[in-house]
Amino acid sequence: MRLSDVSVDQMATIRTLGSDTHFLSRITSIGLTEGTRIQVVRNDKKMPLLIYARETLLALNRKDCERIEVEVKV
Amino acid sequence: MSTIALLGQPNSGKSTVFNQLTGARQHVGNWPGKTVEKKDGSFSYNGTKYNLVDLPGSYALSGNSDEEIITEDFIKSGKADLVCILVDASQLERSMYMVSEFASMGKPAILILNMMDVAEKQNKTIDADLLSSRLGIPVLPFTAAEGKEYGKLKELIVKELSAPHTLSSAPYLASGNGAKDKVSADQLKAESETKFQWVSEILDGVTKTKDEKYSLSKFDRIAIRPVLGKVVTIGIILLAFMVAMIICIPFMSIGSMIPQYTSGPIADALTGWNVHPWLVSIFSLMLPNVVYFSLSMAAFVLGVNLVFGFLEEVGFLARAAYQFDGVLSKIGLQGKAVAPLLMGFGCTIGGSCGTRVMDNWGQKMLAMAAVWAIPCASIWAIVPVISGMFFPAWGTLLICIGILLYIFVMIFLVSKIFGKKLAPIENRTGMIMELPPYHKAHWKHIWKESFFKSSDIFFRALRTVTLISLLFWALSYSGSGKVEDSILYKAGTAIEPVTKFFGMGWRTFMAFLSSAFAKEAVLGVLNSVFVGDNSLLNATFNAKTSGADAGTLSTVMSNAVSSAEALAFMFAVTFNIPCVMALSTTYRESHSLKWTARVAIFYFGSALLLSCIVYHVADLFM
Repeated sequence: MRLSDVSVDQMATIRTLGSDTHFLSRITSIGLTEGTRIQVVRNDKKMPLLIYARETLLALNRKDCERIEVEVKV
Repeated sequence: MSTIALLGQPNSGKSTVFNQLTGARQHVGNWPGKTVEKKDGSFSYNGTKYNLVDLPGSYALSGNSDEEIITEDFIKSGKADLVCILVDASQLERSMYMVSEFASMGKPAILILNMMDVAEKQNKTIDADLLSSRLGIPVLPFTAAEGKEYGKLKELIVKELSAPHTLSSAPYLASGNGAKDKVSADQLKAESETKFQWVSEILDGVTKTKDEKYSLSKFDRIAIRPVLGKVVTIGIILLAFMVAMIICIPFMSIGSMIPQYTSGPIADALTGWNVHPWLVSIFSLMLPNVVYFSLSMAAFVLGVNLVFGFLEEVGFLARAAYQFDGVLSKIGLQGKAVAPLLMGFGCTIGGSCGTRVMDNWGQKMLAMAAVWAIPCASIWAIVPVISGMFFPAWGTLLICIGILLYIFVMIFLVSKIFGKKLAPIENRTGMIMELPPYHKAHWKHIWKESFFKSSDIFFRALRTVTLISLLFWALSYSGSGKVEDSILYKAGTAIEPVTKFFGMGWRTFMAFLSSAFAKEAVLGVLNSVFVGDNSLLNATFNAKTSGADAGTLSTVMSNAVSSAEALAFMFAVTFNIPCVMALSTTYRESHSLKWTARVAIFYFGSALLLSCIVYHVADLFM
């Protein structure tokens, strides 16, 4: 499932972050790696997603979220 | 002299620590050949002086941006005798990533656990001693905004300089450090896994990362909504601007009394001593106004820094950035630019110094260039007066709408012309930003920084404004007091055939030139050149006090100037260089004469071109 499709307040685990090295470096340095557990806090159309990970509230633009595959825990 | 470097991620409080340690003993410039701000300064402890370098803020040391490359190179070069690494104690696991990248460099360091006050409020406990023994370097729990904590920090720094420690543990990386250019995605993933693994081993038992659900605060639930949030954000920024104005108005009114009450007496005294009229006019007209201008600037900077310092520290500006990133990223700017841009409607000086919240120098410069395109409050006061002489009320309304629409064109042009260099396309990535938790503002710290910044601007502005004023004074000085005897008049009438092509006769052209000096001067200069009952010099420098007689001016001007010329003139004045104070603020904030000059030349040239187009098009219809 794509991160951009996760609904609000759901918890998810990052499966894959894609293979763009520049993007990987940036997203890693702010704390997101494959296996990181996250919570989607806000997911509004046309707005960046708000997610909570490693005790930090992060704003992630929608395009990047469409590239991130996650696994939702039921 | 020993050199100490500050290393930390954005929002780690690095600049607070830098400002508190160095106070006024700091120098801000650019790293050689790079559009990245370089801050260095010094502090004394027990009679010894120490150098302090603020390394550019970045999340990692992976060579992904100019900031990261500069920081990495500086640390590897060994120029720093000690590196102070700042981490956010309230988000320890995430901010320790920087430490994991630093660890293998083997340089002497101390770790500062900043934002302990926030961590404590969130009931997070950190075993600093255990962390210190795991890392092999001293660890200092800290709250950067508390002035009283700096004694401990200085003491620790000095102690470490004589007996430094390097990190005893580092994540084991297969690729080693250095050859980062050709790392594959899989390698990168493996390494970051290793680094975070190292971080969690180091932090095991030091602190507990709570895996609890996050819920938005009551305020965030409104501030973050797509539509309502934007309305609230604009409202708060406009409110902040009004507060800034209220703070600076008393200073400005005191400032305006300087020329009002000193010009006459100084002139009388000097004339009585038979001083040459040249000097009389410099000392009685120009200098009191220079002091007044500089004081107004300083007051603006104080007001804007106070409110912006507050909004930034409590965490509001990050929310504003989140709201407007989508729109602004299209022109290469970060979402954070929304606040300075909106402030530009009030005052370009305020907007320009509001760009201090931008993350890097290129963004800051680009935002300032864009702020110049926003017509300030003075424009909105002048345009209706001039327009009213030539057009009916609905015409004035149309002109104002036209100006509003042209703002977008202008900002688009700025982003096309300067954006490529200041915010390279390959660096324009989608928003990945942390929204720091709201925290209480440390007012003492905000006041201190605002006052420092404001007094700094005042003395620097005195120099710049004096220089430019002197130039304008020389051009507009006339021995007889008549306009016809000034160089400006002679040059103006001589080049009138050229200015005519751009849509302006020599009189309107002269007023156009003065609008680059101060927007308030425009009406006074028009009055002086059309009605001629006042010297040009008086008109320019005493614009606010002399008060143009709009009635007479209207009759004379509407006879001498065509509607098309008036229209062209209004557009040219609106999108000209905003004023000498905005120019000087931009230079002070950017530290780059080259870029300030580029932007100024662009605005001057594009205003002429705009005037030319408007005139020739309007001439067909009017």
